[in-house]
Amino acid sequence: MIQIKHFSYSPGEHETEAASGSYLMSLIAIIVGLPLPIINLLATLIFYLGNKKSTYFVRWHCTQALLSQLTMLFINSYGFWWTISIMFTEESITGKYIAYMIAAIIFILTEFIATIYTAIQTRKGIHVEWWFYGSLTNLICKSKS
Amino acid sequence: MKRLVFEGLIIILLFFGTWFALNQIDWIKIFKVQKVTDTTEQKLGELFWDFFKKSEDEISDKNVIEPVSEIVAYISKANKINRDKIKVHVLNNDNINAFALPGGHLIIYTGLISKCDNEGELSGVICHEIAHIELNHVMKKLITEIGLSVLISITTGSGGADVIKEAVKLLSSTAFDRSLEKEADIKAVDYLIEAKLNPELFAAFLFKHSDNENEAANYWSWISTHPDSKERSEYILDYSKDKLTEFKPILTPKQWGSLKVASAVTE
Repeated sequence: MIQIKHFSYSPGEHETEAASGSYLMSLIAIIVGLPLPIINLLATLIFYLGNKKSTYFVRWHCTQALLSQLTMLFINSYGFWWTISIMFTEESITGKYIAYMIAAIIFILTEFIATIYTAIQTRKGIHVEWWFYGSLTNLICKSKS
Repeated sequence: MKRLVFEGLIIILLFFGTWFALNQIDWIKIFKVQKVTDTTEQKLGELFWDFFKKSEDEISDKNVIEPVSEIVAYISKANKINRDKIKVHVLNNDNINAFALPGGHLIIYTGLISKCDNEGELSGVICHEIAHIELNHVMKKLITEIGLSVLISITTGSGGADVIKEAVKLLSSTAFDRSLEKEADIKAVDYLIEAKLNPELFAAFLFKHSDNENEAANYWSWISTHPDSKERSEYILDYSKDKLTEFKPILTPKQWGSLKVASAVTE
């Protein structure tokens, strides 16, 4: 699911720090924003916009971090509103709901672990591409040169 | 691009596959969700019933309790409903009302009994309320109007008396929404037919008293909180049209007569 690849150039110290920061930002946002899934996305989006004019390496990793948050946003939002409807409407707790929440937790945890690993590797200057998100980032984020 | 689509599909499949696989496990049993929900409902029922017991006069006259219990037992048996689940209470109140509380408590006012011309009419109203209990409408209404968290706080003792009062008022003097009322009416017809009771009498009761809808209806709570009685009697007749069979009374004329006399006396 995670691949280490060679980047088109060797990033400098300040670049690896900023790129690693984008993953750390999403990590903090996951912890803070778990009850309100939109916070994860907003935090990563702000960090992305802040580094939009940065170097290719930084932009690339900010984009990958942002895209991975988007999927989590869908999964979390569905779970969040489902929970709200159980609490405030006639909807009741079903096996389907519990199964969804467990599946969502498995995905969030996997993403959490992958994010920590990527933040560490990126800080060392190692370029890590995620399954699907890596390819998608390659499609969206192009080198200016 | 093809690879990207393929990878995206794998992720989607992985998520839905995990969800589907986890859905095969009986989580409700593992987490004892049903038990918790049932306990909450039972506790709420006891609390609400306590409220009525303290503020109203419960009838203990055999001439009232026995025939009403017999009707409920007969309907329950014919429809394979656990009789012990339905706890019938007759209250001395001239209001024409009957309603269900959580935990299977069924409250009937003497005012309603005395306004019924025959056991078929009373059975119709009882079947309608049993349908609300069996279809879990009572808890659905409470959760929608009051919220699950408040209901749980009532059972743990942290909810105030005002909340209990509000919930009790909600159940005794307001209707369920139109779709739930219709569902209960249709279910009531099924119960009546299974019990070999004539649903036309239930429809007639609604039709007969539909004129009272527009009055201030201080005493006609059951009719005024169940609007569109004419329309209801029409769809009840329509639904039961092809299902009519031979009918059998539950009570003897003597029992019915004693019930009417006793309920009128106690008012």
